[in-house]
Amino acid sequence: MAAVLIGVLIVAVLAGGVLMWTRSRRRPDGVDSFRRQIDALSADSRRPTIDRMNPTEPPSDDEDGTHGT
Amino acid sequence: MVLMARDLAIDLGTANTLVYMKGRGIVLNEPSVIALNRQTGEVLATGREAWQMIGRTPGYIVAVRPLRGGAITDFEITERMIRLLLQRVGVSRFTRPKVVICVPSAITEVERRAVTDAARRAGAADANLIEQPMAAAIGADLPIDEPVGNMVIDIGGGTSETAVISLGGIVALEAVRVGSFDIDAAIQNYVRREHGIAIGERTAEEIKVAIGSADPTPDENQAEVRGRDLMTGLPKTVVLTPEEVRFAIEDVVSSMVASVIRCLSKAPPELSQDFLVRGMYLVGGGGLLRGLAERIERETQVPVRRSNVPLEAVVLGAGHVIEHYEALKGMFMGARR
Ligand SMILES: Nc1ncnc2c1ncn2[C@@H]1O[C@H](COP(=O)(O)OP(=O)(O)OP(=O)(O)O)[C@@H](O)[C@H]1O
Ligand SMILES: [Mg+2]
Repeated sequence: MAAVLIGVLIVAVLAGGVLMWTRSRRRPDGVDSFRRQIDALSADSRRPTIDRMNPTEPPSDDEDGTHGT
Repeated sequence: MVLMARDLAIDLGTANTLVYMKGRGIVLNEPSVIALNRQTGEVLATGREAWQMIGRTPGYIVAVRPLRGGAITDFEITERMIRLLLQRVGVSRFTRPKVVICVPSAITEVERRAVTDAARRAGAADANLIEQPMAAAIGADLPIDEPVGNMVIDIGGGTSETAVISLGGIVALEAVRVGSFDIDAAIQNYVRREHGIAIGERTAEEIKVAIGSADPTPDENQAEVRGRDLMTGLPKTVVLTPEEVRFAIEDVVSSMVASVIRCLSKAPPELSQDFLVRGMYLVGGGGLLRGLAERIERETQVPVRRSNVPLEAVVLGAGHVIEHYEALKGMFMGARR
């Protein structure tokens, strides 16, 4: 009987812990992904893309797909 | 054979198609035209080659712009065009790249699904859409990462879209299915009505680029126009003045300006005041029309600046999303809440 009670208690504590952990994770996640998005849109981040106006090499030259990466 | 998937960004414009390859840049830039055998439905040519055929084909060939009007007029042809496009830049069954496609923001839910499905069937591992003005703002290097009002006006062949963007999101949007093709059509109609000659759409476009304007400009020239006399059926030359062309296209130009004004009026006041200082950015081929920037400026009292990459801004913006896929995937159409 006592063992069952202790078991239920442990499960409840664990569940509470998991709940709190996911909660504390989720909040910064929204902040993080928003931050990441804004950072990726900064002028510095965009510079290399915009400089690629003219392709660095024609794709047909890249027969084996090993160049450039 | 190319084995490695290189993710792609596609600006599927009503007039021009551009493709950006991750890590590489713009690898394709050509007219959105496809030439088909009318009887068999076989594709005969695409891009520049097909463009040269417009209005010059024998009866059994038809050269069409499947996206004309900013809507997908023929799903099957659009799908074939996307498939050919992906093949040409090296996509096969073995290389399944992620693809981001820019579409007019006015397209319907059904059209959206048609485009993404077409791209997936053509070999894309994943296909997502992004609004043209959003992509244009990214590519035109506007500070959209800041909490300030950025206004971008994209005048393309079949659509005119104006958007206010702040902190990476669209605040106000106004899209109309009126574009530079409508100016060509207006010139065609005018010449037919007033001079009694028939001209093709390519000739009308040449007239627009050569002497068309939205507002009086210095050093204006006349143009000689050759077409077919409607009465005699013989080739004939007439002279068109810039004033005449301005008159002919007035309705189209004023509906473009009206849509910019509607977008301005949708912007929250805090952002509205930013435009007075920062101006609005004009992109798209249709935005190159002489006097258009001045005309918008005159009617809105807001300064208009021209982007230095008017034709490439959209694909560069979408290309940037491909370069930073994980960080920017929240910007896809439908991903935002
Ligand atoms: N110098 C110019 N003056 C006037 N119009 C021009 C000029 N250069 C290009 N255009 C017009 O711009 C249009 C093409 O612009 P753009 O490539 O931006 O369109 P698109 O992106 O394919 O169309 P959309 O964005 O509507 O889908 C054509 O109608 C073309 O005639
Ligand atoms: Mg466009």
